[in-house]
Amino acid sequence: MKRYSNRLYEGLKRISLGSAALLVVFAAVPGTGWAEVPNAVAPKGAHAGDDVPQPIEFPHDVHAKINQINCMYCHTYARRSKVAGIPPTSKCMGCHTIIATDKERIKKLTEYWESNQSPPWKKVHDVPDYVHFTHEKHLDRFLFSNEGMDVERVSEVCAFCHGEVKEMTVAKKVKSLNMGFCRRCHEANDGPSDCWKCHK
Amino acid sequence: MSLQNILTNWSQYRKGHEQGGFHDYEHMWGMAVDLNKCIGCNACSVACYAENNLGIVGKDRFEKGQGMHWMRIERYWDEPNLAPGVSEEFPSRGASFLPMMCQQCNAATCEPVCPVAATYHTPDGLNAQVYNRCIGSRYCSNNCPYRLRYFNFYSYYDWSWPEPLNMQLNPDLSVRDKGVMEKCTFCVQRIRVAKDTARREDRKVADGDVYPACVQTCPTDALVFGDMLDPESSVTKLWKAHQVELGKTKQHKDNEELRGYRIFEGLNTDPCVMYLERVREVEV
Repeated sequence: MKRYSNRLYEGLKRISLGSAALLVVFAAVPGTGWAEVPNAVAPKGAHAGDDVPQPIEFPHDVHAKINQINCMYCHTYARRSKVAGIPPTSKCMGCHTIIATDKERIKKLTEYWESNQSPPWKKVHDVPDYVHFTHEKHLDRFLFSNEGMDVERVSEVCAFCHGEVKEMTVAKKVKSLNMGFCRRCHEANDGPSDCWKCHK
Repeated sequence: MSLQNILTNWSQYRKGHEQGGFHDYEHMWGMAVDLNKCIGCNACSVACYAENNLGIVGKDRFEKGQGMHWMRIERYWDEPNLAPGVSEEFPSRGASFLPMMCQQCNAATCEPVCPVAATYHTPDGLNAQVYNRCIGSRYCSNNCPYRLRYFNFYSYYDWSWPEPLNMQLNPDLSVRDKGVMEKCTFCVQRIRVAKDTARREDRKVADGDVYPACVQTCPTDALVFGDMLDPESSVTKLWKAHQVELGKTKQHKDNEELRGYRIFEGLNTDPCVMYLERVREVEV
């Protein structure tokens, strides 16, 4: 999935902002992937969402990058339902009754666990109510039914829309996630273009 | 598809099925309504309100004709002589009922008049309304011979569902805002789920996998819903049994006793809902 590598995307964005002519030249180079998409200009403006303060500063980098935990180990609903889901506290405690119990954040987590509460996690990536988005279908298309892509590399697939979460601590919205963003990918990958497939 | 569809099929849309129409369908959702079974209980209408987040407009606005009932029960008194000498506006005898939902016309009159292509035909044979695209010109509503499109004159969510009633809103479809036209969708959110499930299980959508809220609720099974491209579905069989076919402005029947008809089919709208005429013993 070279065409979706973040660096390329960011690079393209810069180029498109700088010079449209340059983009045309760049897009004409075979193998860049963007050549398939006519007028594929990254949406302008800032896409980064606000910092969402979480009850516990969850370090995605420690889990996904350093310890190489598969995204779908915790966000297990992604492969079978509309939403990726926030893991239940029991899943956290499955490891953290043993691992790193001396850390401040884990102590806080244990407090929640022992008082029979789940930390009030906040949603970071939220599409508008009128959008029907299914994680399951997208994972099927880009991960399970995608030749040459194995499940260990799922974070690359997630990064299409969620950015490099494994470089972050608390997740932050970095992609625009607007209709143009969706359409560009749908056009490049023969996704459905029927209005009622996504709008409800 | 959508806009592209409309641009490529514009003339076909306008000329309807006479010139072949738009035939590239994945499904063709259709319905059959047996008026003999309909008791006018309004359960379908209530189910529709619950399922589709329909705004509750209040008595005054309802009287002005601003009700948002996607599924309505029309009342007719076709035998006023049942009680001779009695003159009532709503006689206690002789009423008959007709559930009226969007007919999902294949040559829909609402579609070609939309200036922004907010209403279009889906590959499922449904007449779709894209709320985000709608600018509220109300052309479609004025062009619908069935009067089945409803306009949001107000932001009903401000007061339609006071706390905690907002918790019963269906998350599978949006709550429409002021200035947007809306209409029956044959519960497209349920169809979407059924198709997703079928795809996950690597099979076709079977008959009975999906029911709109009205069909599910009907206590007398007066409403039958299904895919008319599936020859085995109960709705196809019913249409066949009553010799009603899509793509005709006048049905040929071998037997005059067959009750099936489509409302206003002479207008060349090609509706996907068949009604079975009510038969009543007047002599009793």
